[in-house]
Amino acid sequence: MSDMSEVRKKQDAFLDKWVSGEGIEFVSEEAKALYQERAGLLAAAFRIDESIKRVPVMPMTTFAPTMMKGISGKEAMYNPDAAGQAYVDFCETYQPDAAGAAPMLMYGPALETLKYNLYKWPGQGVPDELSYQFHEKEYMTADEYDKLISDPTDFYLRTWMPRTHGALAPFADMPPVYGAMELPMLGPWLIGIGAPPMQEALKALMEAGKQCFDWINTMGAYLGKIMAMGFPFYAGGACKAPFDVISDSFRGTTQLMMDLYRKPDKVLEAVERLVEPMIQTGIAGAVANNNPIVFIPLHKGADGFMSNAQFEKFYWPTLKKVMYGLAEAGCIPGCFVEGGYNQRLEYLADTSDIRCMYLFDRTDMAKAAETLGGKVCIAGGFPVSMILTSTPEKVEEETKKMVDMAGKDKGYILSIGCALDEGKHDTMLAFCNAAKKYGVY
Amino acid sequence: MQDLVNAMADMMEDKVIELTNQYLDEGQDPVAIFRAYQEAMEEIGRRFEANTYFVPELIMAGEMMKTGSELIKPHLKNDAEDGPAKIGKFLLATIEGDIHDIGKNIVGMMMDLNGFEVMDLGVDVPADVIIEKAREFNPDIIGVSGLLTLAFDPMKGLVEKLQEAGLRDGFKVLIGGAQIDEQVSEYVGADAFVTDAVAGVNICKEWMAA
Repeated sequence: MSDMSEVRKKQDAFLDKWVSGEGIEFVSEEAKALYQERAGLLAAAFRIDESIKRVPVMPMTTFAPTMMKGISGKEAMYNPDAAGQAYVDFCETYQPDAAGAAPMLMYGPALETLKYNLYKWPGQGVPDELSYQFHEKEYMTADEYDKLISDPTDFYLRTWMPRTHGALAPFADMPPVYGAMELPMLGPWLIGIGAPPMQEALKALMEAGKQCFDWINTMGAYLGKIMAMGFPFYAGGACKAPFDVISDSFRGTTQLMMDLYRKPDKVLEAVERLVEPMIQTGIAGAVANNNPIVFIPLHKGADGFMSNAQFEKFYWPTLKKVMYGLAEAGCIPGCFVEGGYNQRLEYLADTSDIRCMYLFDRTDMAKAAETLGGKVCIAGGFPVSMILTSTPEKVEEETKKMVDMAGKDKGYILSIGCALDEGKHDTMLAFCNAAKKYGVY
Repeated sequence: MQDLVNAMADMMEDKVIELTNQYLDEGQDPVAIFRAYQEAMEEIGRRFEANTYFVPELIMAGEMMKTGSELIKPHLKNDAEDGPAKIGKFLLATIEGDIHDIGKNIVGMMMDLNGFEVMDLGVDVPADVIIEKAREFNPDIIGVSGLLTLAFDPMKGLVEKLQEAGLRDGFKVLIGGAQIDEQVSEYVGADAFVTDAVAGVNICKEWMAA
């Protein structure tokens, strides 16, 4: 393990670069100052800096900015102008300290081109007005662990993608890429690439890539505007805990839970094998977006999904390796701790020698503050049910309580414990304003 | 057959199959073998409540139960095939707009293993379909699942429609899901909410005993 003070220095250097706002063309000096103040608040929370001025507020959003404007889920995924403008409006209206990653809405036409089936989305399996939803299935069979372990990239390309991206089904017949090693062997590999079904699949991939490129060029104008107005984004890159990759995307939860008993050694080898790919995926996003925060949504390690002994064996070691690998590259791992982690807080305290953030969903925030306060940056915990079904007065009152309780150690970022698909204007406004009113140190 | 009970309660899947086959070969009463499975299930439920067991063990238990039933069934006499009388009827669905089913499926399995007759309507089920099926099936309890916050309003809509149809008092309504809490339960107008399957089974059993 590297010298941790060196790792933190590297993280601080990336944070400083991000906070400076270099390369952003701000609309005014005032906007620049606001950007630096907001990103600075987040950076100070990550560092658990005693001199932090206020608790930053960062509502995580997926479809909320669009839905709150009456834009359907389908429109949000098919019209980047509408989606981008909604994200701009959300920032202007609620003045959060960090803006949501609008590209997480994705672009419906590209998914259609790929005949994507890992999710269902508005108009394609769910009603137009709703959000996209994960379509969990057994996309990798129990006897395919060795394929994944021996070569994750080959497994992605020739086994998993053909099953999850219908248009890429011919990739299953692609000869292994290793055929390209030398001239005499290159021919057979290229012949496989030239087969008509493979050509169709490659065309679909090119088309989807072009669609996404055009989409982000349109949406990019709005993202640029958000930054120019003085709002930093709360994530640069994203990756996942290796166990969740296998559970969510490959085996399915039910199957993987049985594998813990039926083939525990294979599960352990597989999660280990995914550590480096996850680190590289996270770093790539952070570097491309010049933003050190790497978002890691955590799923199947939550309370209830497994025992502490299982967490310690199957889940935590490789998640921790991913976090440290990101930190060594200067990134800030930001775990979105979905579900409850009341039984696991002690483990999280282990990462106090790097800058990282744990944004909680249903975890008891008093307990989180008690166990983790002053050690790592904590965030979230505000119940989404309050935003959706309560009154502004009650939200203000509860926000004050949350800020007082979780913010006492100065390493807290106020957030709702859920990536918002929807919201209510008056409670959202009360929430964001209350942070600024009561969060001042 | 304590060894069978213990093997299953300790998640020793291969041993469970081995012992089941052995007892069947020896000509032991298949009903008694099945009872050993049920006893093991009760122990697994206790360990879940004691926070020793979690989702992996519930799934394994369901899987062992399924395999065991298949092994035992051909040996059961016709009159014993129906098993013990059911303690109640449970109608289950993921509400309209939501396609998530992991939690719902575990609930369905646990309810079934605990003596309820379960009708599972699947995912993305509109309130009208739930009500129509409720009229046919006449359950004691309607269990509605939803992972997304977007499930809150359709759940509320279901309760309102039950009310309008004059059916609300005929059923208990139990809701569950990742973002469900007291606040949501009140908003929806449910009789109770739960966030894990065993808690759901317990509350349903309490209702049936009341």
